[in-house]
Amino acid sequence: MTDYNPLLPIAPAQGNRRSPLYRRHVDLQAKFEQVGDAVLVSHYVKPGIEVLLAANLGLVDLSTMPRTGFKGAGAPAWAASQRVKLPKLPNTAVTQKDGSVVAKLSHQELLIVSNIMGSATSIDRLNREHLNREHSNKEHLNREHLNREHSNKEHLSKQTLAPQTYSLPRADSHSWLAVTGNAAAEMFSKICGVDLRVHKFAHNQVAQTSVAKINGVILRHDLATTPCFYILSDITSTEFLWDSLLDAMEEYRGAAVGVAAMRSLAANK
Amino acid sequence: MKRLPAPYGLLINREQPISFSFENKAYQGLAGDSIASALAANDQWLLSRSFKYHRPRGALTMAGQDANTMVQLPSNPNALADKEPIAEGLQVMGQNYSGSLENDRGSILGLFSRFLPVGFYYKAFFKPRGMWEKWVKLIRKKAGLGVINQQLEPEYYDKQYKFYDVVVVGAGPTGLQAALTAAVDGCEVLLVDENPILGGSLNYARLDTEGTLAKEVRDQLILEVNGNSNITCMTNAMVNAWFADNWLPIICGKRLYKVRSKQTILCTGALEQQAVFHNNDVPGVMMSSAAQRLMHLYGVAPGKTAVVVTGNDDGYANALDLMDAGVNVAAIIDLRETPKATPMIEAAIKRRLKIKPGYAVYGAQQNGNHLSAVEIRKVVSQGICAEVGETISCDLLCMAVGYTPTYQLACQSGGQLSYDDNSAMFTLNNLADDLQVAGSVNSYWDLGNCLEEGARAATIATNALGFTQADIPEAMAKESQSPNHSWPIFAHPKGKEFVDFDEDLTIADIINATKDGYEHIQLVKRYSTCGMGPSQGRHSALAAARLVAAATNKTVAETGVTTARPPFAPEHLGHSAGRSFYPARRSNMHYRHLEAGAQMLQAGAWYRPAFYSPQADYGPSLDSAVCINNEVNNVRNNVGLVDVSTLGGLEVRGPDAGEFLNRFYTFGFVKQPVGKARYALLTNEAGVVIDDGVACRFSEEHYYVTATTGGVDRVYQNMLKWNAQWRLDVDIANVTSAYSAVNIAGPKARQVLAKLCSDIDLSKEAFPYMGVREGTVAGIPARLIRVGFVGELGYEVHVPQQFGEALWDALMDAGQPEGIKPFGIEAQRILRLEKGHIIIGQDTDAMSNPMEVQMGWAVSRKKPFFVGGRTISELKKKTPSRSLVGFMINDTDGPTPMESHLVLNGEQMAGRVTSCNYSPTLGKPIGLAYVQPHSAEAGSQITIRANGGVLVTAEVVTLPFYDPTTARQEL
Repeated sequence: MTDYNPLLPIAPAQGNRRSPLYRRHVDLQAKFEQVGDAVLVSHYVKPGIEVLLAANLGLVDLSTMPRTGFKGAGAPAWAASQRVKLPKLPNTAVTQKDGSVVAKLSHQELLIVSNIMGSATSIDRLNREHLNREHSNKEHLNREHLNREHSNKEHLSKQTLAPQTYSLPRADSHSWLAVTGNAAAEMFSKICGVDLRVHKFAHNQVAQTSVAKINGVILRHDLATTPCFYILSDITSTEFLWDSLLDAMEEYRGAAVGVAAMRSLAANK
Repeated sequence: MKRLPAPYGLLINREQPISFSFENKAYQGLAGDSIASALAANDQWLLSRSFKYHRPRGALTMAGQDANTMVQLPSNPNALADKEPIAEGLQVMGQNYSGSLENDRGSILGLFSRFLPVGFYYKAFFKPRGMWEKWVKLIRKKAGLGVINQQLEPEYYDKQYKFYDVVVVGAGPTGLQAALTAAVDGCEVLLVDENPILGGSLNYARLDTEGTLAKEVRDQLILEVNGNSNITCMTNAMVNAWFADNWLPIICGKRLYKVRSKQTILCTGALEQQAVFHNNDVPGVMMSSAAQRLMHLYGVAPGKTAVVVTGNDDGYANALDLMDAGVNVAAIIDLRETPKATPMIEAAIKRRLKIKPGYAVYGAQQNGNHLSAVEIRKVVSQGICAEVGETISCDLLCMAVGYTPTYQLACQSGGQLSYDDNSAMFTLNNLADDLQVAGSVNSYWDLGNCLEEGARAATIATNALGFTQADIPEAMAKESQSPNHSWPIFAHPKGKEFVDFDEDLTIADIINATKDGYEHIQLVKRYSTCGMGPSQGRHSALAAARLVAAATNKTVAETGVTTARPPFAPEHLGHSAGRSFYPARRSNMHYRHLEAGAQMLQAGAWYRPAFYSPQADYGPSLDSAVCINNEVNNVRNNVGLVDVSTLGGLEVRGPDAGEFLNRFYTFGFVKQPVGKARYALLTNEAGVVIDDGVACRFSEEHYYVTATTGGVDRVYQNMLKWNAQWRLDVDIANVTSAYSAVNIAGPKARQVLAKLCSDIDLSKEAFPYMGVREGTVAGIPARLIRVGFVGELGYEVHVPQQFGEALWDALMDAGQPEGIKPFGIEAQRILRLEKGHIIIGQDTDAMSNPMEVQMGWAVSRKKPFFVGGRTISELKKKTPSRSLVGFMINDTDGPTPMESHLVLNGEQMAGRVTSCNYSPTLGKPIGLAYVQPHSAEAGSQITIRANGGVLVTAEVVTLPFYDPTTARQEL
């Protein structure tokens, strides 16, 4: 591991957290930027050109961007207690004040992805709060355990901090890719059996489906007026999905773009 | 090249000539031509030879509906010449001939047709005994049509999903109107047609005496359709099947569209049928619609002198069209004795066309390979002609004797065909929900009726979808005059009246099939092969049904037709294969393995390093066994690193986590101490071992359970399934992908790990064997598990997935002074074998219970319940039939047995080898095998039949082979 030096070009493997795709990005002569403890592709070619590409059909690797998840009967109430704005229905999402997005995958499961600046403030806070809660729960249980042992009673009542909320390692279990542009839905129709056309699949709508034969969560989250679809899928298949997407995109002159193009489109109101 | 002037030739571009060849002779056509139309423009009518008798065949439908036009293209056998467009330099050849297409030596078979009766395959080749083996060589040589180009480079085919409110199949007048009505009502409509342009019969049929109505209606409808943004038109596209819930596979170019339609409207029209008479297959004999297609679509006159045989108005329209195109119409042969006067007939009379009412074409004559004359005779009764007739010279005979609805898609949706004796026509009923039929497929022939019916079907669809709440108009009254003649079939003493052109089946063949006892139409089909050829009975079903009905004294309705299964038209294998997805999973360290010279193998979707062949270290000649043995030795003597990211990982959390595992696995987990791992053996309800792993207890309510690479998905599903019943307060998450993991193993493992691990006391006392800890390794948050799968001091280090490569780098760097080397799964297999650890799936099968595989120690006897527990307790009462034992081969000169080699007891099979490898540590082959109980005692000798049938003697030994005191792994 090399220490980060802002004066040197950012190398994709300089941090401990590395996207499964970083070699692909290097091959495409990507320019990287630092996001938290990892790096992200800023752009491959000239940023201005990439905005045009992204407006048509772009593919962005956001796998090193912050994201997290919580599940359990107590997850929605706990998240709400943390000032998280929750979607009403499963398979929908709500954009938070800081630009992060909270998607409800079921009545008891939340997926939270950061804004495209990679700012992890709210996600870090939630993870920290949950960890604290887990620690205090664990200490409480250990005390209970000891009490049980002392009292030699097998079934002493357990008083956990119910209802339960469990963290999910979404930042590591799932890669995060974004498909941007007006041709995105048409491209998706080659690899996904869900109708993602913009008049059928709304902004902040979620589909849990199969993309190129691997399970994925698709979340439409537009960049101002440009359609944008996040795909969160098995991280160990990221290279396969990346290649499959680029192959499907070729017909529509799609290309890999960096996060800078996404930000430009998002600011283009 | 002769062409009729515009407006004939809707499809061709007269400014763009195209050169191609047929049978190695150069021809010129025009852009838009099909192969058949371009050849017809050059007066080349012979296209192919028939399958059985090698009879000359030419265009029949000009619509890609028959096998007559099948030709060989360089990349594609059996291409339909009347559909396939010409292209510059395209080389087209005929098929199925010996010698030349013009002079086919195989046509001599026709002379022996009486020795080749229906079912001759079944009668001729199996006697005397053993003859089939001789015949089959000849038959195989003769079977099949066309030649596959095995040098062809694969081409890119793919698939795409589409979604529409309404899909209209067929863009004739009814389809255009249906699409318009649905689109105007707000539906998203897909209008599909197999032809290059919209319009269907409006492009070639004559609907009024002046011949202007079709164009007017077509222009207006297409203008409106093109102007409606709710309609997507797909031409040159074949809806090749109907599947449940309106799932429509549509083939267009090299793409298979998988279309979901909420409502489907079939406006597929009707297929014109041939008259059945002597030599009705000679080139020059064609459907009246084929002649009109040639003229109107391609600007080609279908002949010089024509005869039209008809049973309806369309024959008269056809004759008028031919006249307008400059073709001499010698006669109209009307099968009806007293045809009802209609404007079309009156127009024909007015133009002095010779009409012969009550006559039939009794036979056709040929000159060379083309029609030269027809013999017509007075019809005396159904199918019977007068003794004498007259001969009319002609080079074109157009047949207009009726239609069958294009019923295939409707029948695939569950629709049933009925036969209406009055109209002599098949009709459709019992259609699927959300599917309508309209137009001539539903027995409407009048243009006005078709337009009304198209609109009506669309209204039914839009109402069903909630776009409209309109009153549904009454269905139009069925038309009084049917275009179908009830019996356009005339037997001839010389036969050759073809019912099925694909298979050269005649009237006698069909009748003889019933005489042979195959009276049901499905049996007739299979016995005679009628309808089994490339055109799938499109032109034989009606005639065959009529003949079978008459021969069996049933009605045609009772006789019915055979099942119309998908696909509707032939499709390339590429369309089905399309672009296939083969997901591949890679660990975060994948490229580090490649850089280290790993030979990767696929385990399911995962890529895993089998072994490393670092040539810089060992030289290029090193074989895999040496590499693997070196890896084993390095682990035993030093320290090795293996990527175990593919191991399944499951988080089991919640107040009932311990109780859940207690019920799920065979061991006890409720009292498992926090900070400890415990072996977890999984059985199914039948007591069969199906997976294993370790359950690591990180807190009172948190277990992290590992599972096998291939088994984790099933374990996860089983966990969810069982807890759906048990309803315990527990959360289960499959986190396999979320963790990268390595096993650092060997006597120096602690020494290396200690350099990177400052917050965990790695000492034997603080972190003993089967202990689990959380902390950091090289600054990376990690879970550490002390395991002994390979039989040495070892630590599994599990870190968040994206840190995997950094972890690998850090450990390899830190271990350099100790000589750390990566090892692959081949070395791991040997290491675990030396330690006597089984691999589920390799050393177990679908019958293995824990006692058989010496895992009885992993089954709790104190628990009231676990999955499979009841069965296991019963199995324990029985005498075991086999046992998995370790064996060792002391004679190292013989072959090393391999997995699945048999263990023999005399000549009898007594078991099988499940694992066997040369052990570098012990210096001899060792293995595991199922043996009979009496051979399971240590010291027993077993016989294994190795490669080449060599018998190898092995000694049964007590497991493990290596480090029986477990001193090394508990170091």
